[in-house]
Amino acid sequence: MRDVSIIGVGMTRFGKFEDRDMKDLGREAVWTALNDAGVGIKDIQVAYVANAVGQQLTELKGTIGQHVLTSAGIFGIPVINVENACTGGSTSLRGAYLEVASGNADVALAVGVEKLFCGDSAKSAQTMAAGTIYAKFGFMFVALYALQLKKWMAASGATKLHFAKVAAKNKYNGSLNPYAQFQKAMTVEQILESRVVAEPLTQFMCSTMADGAAAAIVCSSDIAKKISQKYPIQIAACELVSGTYNIPGEEHEEITTRAALKAYEKAGIGPEDVQVVEVHDAMSPAELRMYEELHLCKPGEAGMMIDEGHTTLTGRIPVNPSGGLAAKGHPISATGLAQVYEVVTQMRGEAGKRQVTNNPKVGLVENAGGWTMDDNAACAVTILKK
Amino acid sequence: MDKKRIPVQEGLFIEADPGTGKSYLIGNKCKKCGLTAFPKTPVCPRCQIQDTMEETKFEGKGTLDSYSIVQAALPGFQQPSIQAYINLDNGPKMWSLVTGCEPTEGSLKLGMKMEMVIDKIRDDEEGNELISYQFKPAGK
Ligand SMILES: [Zn+2]
Repeated sequence: MRDVSIIGVGMTRFGKFEDRDMKDLGREAVWTALNDAGVGIKDIQVAYVANAVGQQLTELKGTIGQHVLTSAGIFGIPVINVENACTGGSTSLRGAYLEVASGNADVALAVGVEKLFCGDSAKSAQTMAAGTIYAKFGFMFVALYALQLKKWMAASGATKLHFAKVAAKNKYNGSLNPYAQFQKAMTVEQILESRVVAEPLTQFMCSTMADGAAAAIVCSSDIAKKISQKYPIQIAACELVSGTYNIPGEEHEEITTRAALKAYEKAGIGPEDVQVVEVHDAMSPAELRMYEELHLCKPGEAGMMIDEGHTTLTGRIPVNPSGGLAAKGHPISATGLAQVYEVVTQMRGEAGKRQVTNNPKVGLVENAGGWTMDDNAACAVTILKK
Repeated sequence: MDKKRIPVQEGLFIEADPGTGKSYLIGNKCKKCGLTAFPKTPVCPRCQIQDTMEETKFEGKGTLDSYSIVQAALPGFQQPSIQAYINLDNGPKMWSLVTGCEPTEGSLKLGMKMEMVIDKIRDDEEGNELISYQFKPAGK
């Protein structure tokens, strides 16, 4: 296997864009990534395009990747359409990465694109919930997060105040991010006093629907400096797992931990080396669980991590400098590549007002999604280094 | 026109079985290792070989594993709702809506005994009642 580097990243702002379709959003992300890398359309030899609910919510009823890429001027090459719920973006990146690592291609493109606002919010909500077999019985993901977090609070000693603190940190980061859906800082008090959605979760701890797209261009590390002026960020590992049967009363390893341990081993990099992180926090407090499940701290230390400010922009190990899903918005399949966008941008030192201050050499992206067998359906952990 | 009662999904439960007068959940159980599943799974996830699962009925009694009171709902569903995991007696852990009690933190306790009821969960677009299994605090 060859070493693979990211040479270009691009994303649209996330938000509600009634007059923009997936082709328009995808084109912007792809061309931003091309221009960022300084390569042309003809350099791209293969493309992976992730989308989750476009067939249900838009006029595109199949081969969405080809439709989106054609509008960007890219055609004739192999295009692989990817659906993997919220993990679609990282799954696309993994496809592009493996194409280059295997020697099958020198330059590959990964895209994630999603359009959730379709003029009928009830339809959007139903479609997003339909990823689980329980949706027709009234199941809601926010309830699942809430009851898991309640259990976890009892085990870890984390409190609702910790939940609000992590949400406030992320709202502040989002307020500095021009690509975030919500660019407004909020106090711990404002978050605690906002409407309770599902105890212990309040409105401003939760992510919302968004439209958006993100893209990355990867190439063989040995040609990266020849074809691009950008400092290449190497993919040290891009591991993907699916859920395992969660049998009551039996040991069940968290899916995030399984993916992370595989990635740490593949990369030859340990959690103690990681210096900037983006995690999949569909509800901001889930970030605290991820500190422990990614082994960024010991069990029971998540509350301390936020209390002592270790994960702020100026901390020892900044987490979700983008603002995370609750501030940035969560266009399902675009999310994973937007996380990659953020970590690459931070490692290059190009993040402007939200630039982390520890000059990170190693970054990590965690991106989970779906629900089967009482476990997430998918989880990807990507480790980047320079 | 009379409203019809339509199961949300066929094959998941039996409403008031004529023999016993009781309602049942339909799941399956592994002949080899005893693992139970609801809804049914064709291949035992522990043994991971084919042809070991056989259909079984669960009486719909269990205990409350975890719950959440949600001030939001999918279209057509009641809001607020109580969403919970139930540990079925002699069966697996399963997700369910909870009915038959106030949607307040005080009305539920982890580990409390729960029992299944077959009841309406929402009306469909034609005004029929969609029915499904739900759980309520036992004896209520
Ligand atoms: Zn078995």
